[in-house]
Amino acid sequence: MTPLRRVVLIDDHDLFRAGVRAGLGPTVEIVGEAGTVADAVPLIKQLDPDVVLLDVHLPDGGGHAVIVEVAPERPGVKFLALSVSDAAEDVIGVIRAGARGYVTKAISGDELTEAVHRVADGDAVFSPRLAGFVLDAFRGEDVSGTGDPELDQLTAREREVLQLIARGYRYKEIASRLYLSPRTVESHVSAVLRKLQLSNRNELTRWAAERRLI
Amino acid sequence: MSERSLRLPVALPRFERAERGRLVAGIGAGIGEALAVDPTLVRLAFGFLSFASGAGIVAYLGLWALLPAPAAPQPSTTRRIVGAVLLVWAAILALRGLGLSDPFVWMLALVGAGLVIGAGAARFGLSERLAQIAAIILIVSGVFVFVGDNSGDNFLRVLPPGAVAVALLLIVAPWGWRLARERNEERAARIRDEERMEMAARVHDSVLQTLTLIQKDPESARRLARRQERELRAWLYPDAEAAAEGTLAAALESAAAEVEELHGVRVELVRSGDAVLDERLSALALAAREAMANAARHAGVDEVSVFVDAGDAGVSVYVRDRGSGFDPEAVAADRQGLAESIRGRMERVGGTARIVSAPGEGTEVVLEVSA
Repeated sequence: MTPLRRVVLIDDHDLFRAGVRAGLGPTVEIVGEAGTVADAVPLIKQLDPDVVLLDVHLPDGGGHAVIVEVAPERPGVKFLALSVSDAAEDVIGVIRAGARGYVTKAISGDELTEAVHRVADGDAVFSPRLAGFVLDAFRGEDVSGTGDPELDQLTAREREVLQLIARGYRYKEIASRLYLSPRTVESHVSAVLRKLQLSNRNELTRWAAERRLI
Repeated sequence: MSERSLRLPVALPRFERAERGRLVAGIGAGIGEALAVDPTLVRLAFGFLSFASGAGIVAYLGLWALLPAPAAPQPSTTRRIVGAVLLVWAAILALRGLGLSDPFVWMLALVGAGLVIGAGAARFGLSERLAQIAAIILIVSGVFVFVGDNSGDNFLRVLPPGAVAVALLLIVAPWGWRLARERNEERAARIRDEERMEMAARVHDSVLQTLTLIQKDPESARRLARRQERELRAWLYPDAEAAAEGTLAAALESAAAEVEELHGVRVELVRSGDAVLDERLSALALAAREAMANAARHAGVDEVSVFVDAGDAGVSVYVRDRGSGFDPEAVAADRQGLAESIRGRMERVGGTARIVSAPGEGTEVVLEVSA
């Protein structure tokens, strides 16, 4: 039996919020909604939900501003970025701020429901596009030479998993293709997320600096 | 003076006495800060004016009374009146020091007072009509004092050339300033207008057209909406979307767009890395286009995933759908699409094409060229 997840939805478009409400399955309950950073921060702190669905662009700041404000006080709240933006710095920026995943707004209701559960369980959710960005960012040797090599490189396995995500495979399909358990696939993806957030690779720090995240 | 309000060309900076860097009362430093000039220049001006019968000293005292301390409210009314009187006195001293005749100074004082009262009626608590009458009386009497005292030929004698220059400057400078500002505003408005029109044209060509079509023909509206989404994205996020001309990514993007339009499916293109289009990669792009079109035609899905991985070792393109799938062995040998357009094309340029599919499990076409 899947537990009921309490979700706060942050997006400045009413129509889009209505669409998400209608599309989410019965195992996800929307407990609050807001359209600006200023409204979102106190609302999330007050409601303390399992997951926050967060638009990357808000009228009074980026989605990362919400994460930066809330995360230190509510470490249990998980953020899942939801956006139409395809700009790498937007996507990487919100992940670097602490989001557990990124999906595009074209995602189906069922997939979004699944993504909410996965994020609530502490796993990471990568869309094919995010996987593509990460492969790009971790391509080749890191020339900065200042960071932690553990964090600045992907393992061969992680690269394989990301490539399959980018090709449009789901976790279960990836697991059976690579003869791994789904849990192992999850842990590879979570490891990549960690690297994405903590690595000092030039590419990533450049993106982060552009978004004034560091 | 029938104008309702006399607007200054720009917002006045806030003048106040400075705490930091002050020598006497912080007037020089304060004015310097408000006008963004070196305070030493302001102090020199006060010093210079002091030679005109001590006008600089009187002006300094007047400002001391008039200006508020930093971040403090305005000083009391008494202080402000004292300050204003001192300033007017300083102005008269200075103008006489410049060599202006008494009648001319009186005229300036009266006309100036008239202008101030006419412009600031509300602030002095006067009714509009009363202020206007007072202003007209003051200005007219100022002019009479002047004209009455200067009959004919000695008119020019009482106006030394320097004073004429100063007066002209006072009259012309605000006007020139306003003119320059208006021109800037006009230019800014024109640029805004052009941007708005470009935006409007784009939205008209895309969003409005789609909205209209949705009401008539949902199927073609979907295709159109997808194409326009692509175009708008390329416009809004030029770095993320638009691949440089003559690259593999650009070729695949246009291939994806064509397939989307022809077959009404969504092609999700993800890329990692890019490569300059040569003969082999052109063949690869064409094969990939055929694979997308096949998926769109036969798989019975509304989304096709394409992933391009271009690295040092070579280029791989994966075209995947989650549709009906098929048995690759059972495909008739003469089926042009798979045999010729995909496999043949790849083999001719020394690449490979692999097709992974089974009934009910979707299809993935893997196209590879080594570096």
